[in-house]
Amino acid sequence: MVCFKLRTLFRGTILSILILNGLLKAQDGEKPIEPYAKQLQSTGEAIYKKQCASCHGASGEGVSGNYPDPLVGDSTVGELTKIIHDTMPEGEPHLCTGEDARAVAAYIHEEFYSPEAQSRRNPRKPSIARLTGNQLRQSLADLYARHAGIAEPQDKRGVKGLYFDGDRFKNENKKIDRIDKGIDFDFGKESPVADIKPESFYIYWEGSLLVERTGRYEIVVRSTCSFKMDFGKIDRLLIDNHVQSGDKTEFRESLYLTAGRVYPFKIDFIQRKRKTELPPAKVSLSWVPPGGVEQVIPEKNLIPSSGPGTFSLQSFVPPDDRSYGFDRGVAINKQWDESTTAAAIEFSTIVAKELWPRWMKKHKDEPNENRAQLKAFLRDLLQTAFRGPLDSELATVYVDRQVDKAEDDAEAIRRVLLLGLKSPRFLYPLADADKSVSQRAANRLTLTLMDGLPSDEWLLKRVEKNQLTNESQLREAASRMVRDYRVQAKMRDFFYEWLNLTHQSEITKSKELYPEYNAELIADLRGSLNEFLNSIMNDDKGDYRQLFLADWTFTTKRLAEFYGESWKPADEPKDGLQRSVASPTRHGVMTHPFLMSGLAYHDTTSPIHRGVFLIRFMLGRTLRPPNDAFSPLSPDLHPELTTRERVALQTSPDNCQACHSKINALGFVMENYDAVGRYRDSEKKKPIDASGSYRSRDDKVVEFKKAAELAEFLAHSPDSHRAFVNRAFQHFVKQSPDAFGPNTLRMLIEKFDRSGFNVRELISEIAVVASKPLVDFPSRSSTNTSQVNPTN
Amino acid sequence: MNQNRLASRREFLVKTGVSTAAANFLFALPSLGWAASSGTPKKKRMVFVFSPNGVIPQHFWPEQVGKDFELKRILQPLADFKNRMLTLHGVCNRIKGDGDGHMRGIGCLLTGIELFPGDVQGGSDTPAGWAKGISVDQHIKNHFQADPLTQTRFGSLEFGVMVPERADTWTRMSYAGPNQPVAPIDNPYLMFDKLYGQTKNRELLSSVLDDLTSDFKKVEQLISVEDRRLLQDHLTMVRDLEKELKMEQAQTSKRSDTATSDVGHAVPTLPANVEEVNNNIPQITKMQMDMLVSSFAADFARVATFQITNSVGEPKMKWLNIEEGHHHLSHEPDTNEEAYEKLIKINTWYCEQVAYLTKRLAETPEPDGNGTLLDNTTIVWTNELGKGNSHTRDNIPFVLVGEGCGFSMGRAIDYKGVPHNRLLMSFSESMGIPVKSFGNANYCGDGVLADLHT
Repeated sequence: MVCFKLRTLFRGTILSILILNGLLKAQDGEKPIEPYAKQLQSTGEAIYKKQCASCHGASGEGVSGNYPDPLVGDSTVGELTKIIHDTMPEGEPHLCTGEDARAVAAYIHEEFYSPEAQSRRNPRKPSIARLTGNQLRQSLADLYARHAGIAEPQDKRGVKGLYFDGDRFKNENKKIDRIDKGIDFDFGKESPVADIKPESFYIYWEGSLLVERTGRYEIVVRSTCSFKMDFGKIDRLLIDNHVQSGDKTEFRESLYLTAGRVYPFKIDFIQRKRKTELPPAKVSLSWVPPGGVEQVIPEKNLIPSSGPGTFSLQSFVPPDDRSYGFDRGVAINKQWDESTTAAAIEFSTIVAKELWPRWMKKHKDEPNENRAQLKAFLRDLLQTAFRGPLDSELATVYVDRQVDKAEDDAEAIRRVLLLGLKSPRFLYPLADADKSVSQRAANRLTLTLMDGLPSDEWLLKRVEKNQLTNESQLREAASRMVRDYRVQAKMRDFFYEWLNLTHQSEITKSKELYPEYNAELIADLRGSLNEFLNSIMNDDKGDYRQLFLADWTFTTKRLAEFYGESWKPADEPKDGLQRSVASPTRHGVMTHPFLMSGLAYHDTTSPIHRGVFLIRFMLGRTLRPPNDAFSPLSPDLHPELTTRERVALQTSPDNCQACHSKINALGFVMENYDAVGRYRDSEKKKPIDASGSYRSRDDKVVEFKKAAELAEFLAHSPDSHRAFVNRAFQHFVKQSPDAFGPNTLRMLIEKFDRSGFNVRELISEIAVVASKPLVDFPSRSSTNTSQVNPTN
Repeated sequence: MNQNRLASRREFLVKTGVSTAAANFLFALPSLGWAASSGTPKKKRMVFVFSPNGVIPQHFWPEQVGKDFELKRILQPLADFKNRMLTLHGVCNRIKGDGDGHMRGIGCLLTGIELFPGDVQGGSDTPAGWAKGISVDQHIKNHFQADPLTQTRFGSLEFGVMVPERADTWTRMSYAGPNQPVAPIDNPYLMFDKLYGQTKNRELLSSVLDDLTSDFKKVEQLISVEDRRLLQDHLTMVRDLEKELKMEQAQTSKRSDTATSDVGHAVPTLPANVEEVNNNIPQITKMQMDMLVSSFAADFARVATFQITNSVGEPKMKWLNIEEGHHHLSHEPDTNEEAYEKLIKINTWYCEQVAYLTKRLAETPEPDGNGTLLDNTTIVWTNELGKGNSHTRDNIPFVLVGEGCGFSMGRAIDYKGVPHNRLLMSFSESMGIPVKSFGNANYCGDGVLADLHT
C-alpha cells in the first residue's frame, strides 16, 4: 500500500532534484544525460526487471490479475522514490529502499512513467476527426454568412430607438432618434418623450443581440401594447402581437443560439389611439440565458444597429467524446448520423427561404436556362461547405445531377444539401489534401480559431491569391481574426474550460446561513466573472498574470450588498456591472466567489475540491482517482473542529495521503474564503490557518502562508504556464500539442513568456502552429506520411 | 356507381402513388385505420370551410324547406350531393361587444363568445382583440385527443388559402383558448412538410445515399492510412442506413400488396414552384384540399378548418374575369347589377371548391374498406356575414355536406332566428361531446337545435 505522511513528503533530497534537472535537460536535447544519471537508470532497470515487472509489466503497461493499471503519471522522481521506498514491492517494502528505490524511480520516470516518456514512446500526429457538435453549428452559421454577410465587431452598445408621434413610421413625425441602454420602459399613460401624444405613438427599436454562450435561450417580451418582433434577420418574424388583446402581455419564445454570433432584431411598438379606454404603455425585452435567470437584456449584449441575418441551428446535436478532456469528433454512431440529417434539412429550409431568393434577386438579369442560376447558387454554397473549389466531376455529382432530379426548387435545394452536408467533404474538415496550401491554411485557421469554415471575404481573397503560405502570412491573418466575436466566444469557452466551469452543476447554499445567496446573486457572480474575463480578452495586452493578480473585479449593487466593502464600485453606483474597488484579499479569478462557492459545500468550504481544482486545472498535474468513494465527514460529528482540521482528520489514513498530501496542501490555502467565497479571518472562533505548499514538476517545494502567495506563484510558475498553454492548445486545436512535434508546447510557452503573457497572442500562435499543413497526405497508394513544411 | 368508384379509386392511386417509404412511416402509426380493431366505433370527422364577405341570399338559400327543395344558382355545384346536404337558414351570430361586424363575424363564428377589448379598430364600432374562448373545432379536437380511441397524430389541421401575413382578428377563425388564435397554414409546401416532411426526407435521403457512398472512397484517398478507420466506420454506418431504408421499402411494398384494398393514404404529389399569389388561388385551393383528403385518409386528424382568404378577404378572381377584390364588391348596393352578378359568380366559385372537396371525400374509400370518407365526415361551409353590403350576422350561411355528424341529410331547414351557439352545441354533441353550453352561455338556453337528426 501507498503510505507516507504529509510531513515526510517534503523531506525531498537535493540529489533527486539534481537528477531530475539532468533528465529534463537531456530531454531538451541541450546536454547529454550525465554519466551518474545513466548509471542510476541502468541500476534501476535491473532492479525493476527483477522485482517489479512481474506485477507492473516489462514497460509499466500493467499485468491483469496483479496490477492492471499502467504506470503513468506526473509525480516527480523524488515523489516516486518516496513511494517506492515506503511501499514497494507490495507487502515487502524492505526489499527496495534508499538508493535502490531512487534508481528504480529514475529508471521508470525516464523510460515510460513521465508524460515526456509517454509522448516519446507513442509519438502522435494530428489525427482526422469529424466536426464536433459545436463545429457543425459554427460551420453552418458561417455557410449562411457566406451569402448573408457577417457582423463586424464594434464598440457601441445599446438599442437604436426611433420615437414617432402617431402610430406609424412617418419621418416627419419622428421626434427622437436615440440609443437606449436596453428596453425596459413604463410610460404609463404619459408621453414617452416630448412632443408625442400619449394616446398614439410608435417606437421603432432596432439592434443586435450579441450572444456569448451557446445554448437554449428564452426571449421574453412583456408589452401592454401592440408589437411585432423580428429576430435573427430583419423580416424573420419571431413574435407577432399585432393585436393588443385583453390582458395578454407576456410573450416568450425559446431559441437555441450560437456563441460569438450577432442576431439582428427589431421591435415595432405601437400605442394605438382608440375609442375605448387606453391601457398604460409598458414594454420590456428580457431573456433567460442558458442556466440563468430572467433579466432585462443588458446593455453589454446589445449593439445599436442591425447587421446581416444569422443562422443558428435548432436541431439537437449529441454531445461529443470528452475522454481526452476536450471535445473530439470521433464518435460515429446512429444518433450522430441522424443529427447530421436533421441539420442538413433544417439548413436547407432556411436556404430555400432566405438565401436562394436573395441570389435570384441579385442575378435576375443573368441567363437561367436549364435552371443555371439554381445550379450556380448551389455550387457556390457547396464550394464554401467543402472548403475549396468544386471540380466539374464533383459539381455534376453533388449539384447538377440532384437538381435535375427535383422539379421543385426547394426540393432540389434540400436534395443537394442533404447529400452535401452529409458528405465527408463537409464533415471532415481536415480531409483536404487536394486543396491548395493557402486554402488548407485558411481551413485550419478558421477551424482552430472559430470552429467554423472560411467564409469571410478578405480571407477567401487571400486564399485565391495564395497568400497564406508562410508563417508571417498566417500570423497576420490569425491576429486579424482574434478580434472577431466568434474567436472571442471560443476564447471565453476556453476560459470556462480552464476554470472547469463548462459542466458546472447548479450552485445551492444553505438558506439558513446564506439567505441572500440566490439565483439572482449567482447570475450576477457569473456576470462578474464573465466581464472580468472579457476585459482580459478585449485588452490588446491581455495579460495572463492578471487572472491571478488583479485586485479588482466587476460588481453589481446586489454583489456589493452581499459581499461588503471590498465589492463597492470604484465609481458612482449604477445599474448593471461596473468595476469594483481594489482589495488586498482579491486575487483575480482564483478567489472569485463564483469559483469559490462552486468549489464548496452548501454550508462549508471544501478544501479537497479546491485543492483538486488547483492541482489539475491551474497547475496541470494529474491525480489518481480516490481508492474508494467517500462521503465527507459531517461537521456535526466534530463540532469543535475547523474545516481544515476535519479534512485533515478524514484524509489522515496512509492510503489517502499519497494524493491528499498534495490536494490538501493547496486547498487549505484558500480557507480564508468561505462557502460563498466571502473573505473571513476565523472559523469557529479559531484564526484561519491558510498555510500550504506545492511540489513542482522540477521537484521543488514551495511554501505558502496565504492565498496572495499562491496567486503570485500561479501567475509566475512554469507549471501553471504550461497548464494554461496546454489546455488552450487542446481547446482550440482539439489535439495534443505533441501531435505537432515534441517541442511544440515548450516553444509556445517560451513565446508566451516573451510576449508578456499576452493571451491573444498565444491563441494566435496556437492557430499558426495548427495551420501549417505539417502532415501531407499522399493522394495515391503510398502508405507513408511525410512531413512537409510549406514555409521552408 | 360501384364501377365508377373503382375507376376513380384506381385513378386516385395512380395519380398520387403511395410512396413506399412514406407508407411505411404511416403504417407504423398506432392510430392507423386498419390497425384499429373492428370493435372500435366508427370515425367521425368535421371540416369547417370558410369563405368571406357574406353571400347573395336570393341566390343562395333554397325557397322551400324540407326534403323537396331546389338549389339556387350559388349552390348548384353541389347538385350531385343534394341528398347528402343540409342548408340551415335562420341561424344568427348574436354576439355583441367590441369589434366591428367582420371581426365579430369571424372571431365569434366558431367560438360563440365576445372578443376581448383591444386596439384593432375596424371600419366601425369599438376596437377589439382576440376572442375570449376556444373555437368548436379545437374543442372537439381536444376531446378527441384525450381519448386513445379517437386520438390522431395531429388531432386537427388548419388549412388556409392566401391568408394575409398579418395576425389580426380578421385573419383568425380557430382558437385554442382565450387569446390563443391558431394560425392557419396557407402555404401548401409548409403543410406538406408538416404532414409528410419526415417521410419525404427519408425518401430523399434514401435516394442520395448511392451518390454519397461512392464519394467516400475518393475522400479516403485524401487522408492518411491511419485515419481511414474513422471514415470506414462512417461508411459502414451509412451502408447500414441504406440497408435499413431498403428494408423499410421492401416491407412497405409487401404490406401494401396484402392490403391493396386498404391503401387510402397516399402521399400527394404537389406541383412544383407554385407561388403564393392571388392568381394561384385556384391551384393552391386544390393542392390544400387534396392534402386535406389525404390526411383524413391517413387518419392524421379528424378535425380541420379550411379558411379561404380571411374576413374582409380581397381575392381578385381574375380567372372568372373579375378584376375587383371580393370585399370591395361586397359593399356595392344590390342595385349595382354588375356587382351583384359578380358576387353570385364569386360565391358560386367558393361552392365549386366545397363541391370539389365533397367529391374527393366521396370517392376516397375509408381505410377499413367500409364506405368512403364522406360517409363519416361533415363539411360545414360557413361565412362571417349573412350578406356583404348590410354586414348582417343574421342568417349566417351554414351549408352542411356528408354524414360525419349523423344528421338527417337532404333537407333545407329554416330555424327562423336562433343564436348560432346552439348549432355549435349540436356540432359538439354530434361528435360525442354533449355540452350544456358553448361560448356565451346566455345564448345557449334552449340547448341543441332540434330537427337535425329527424
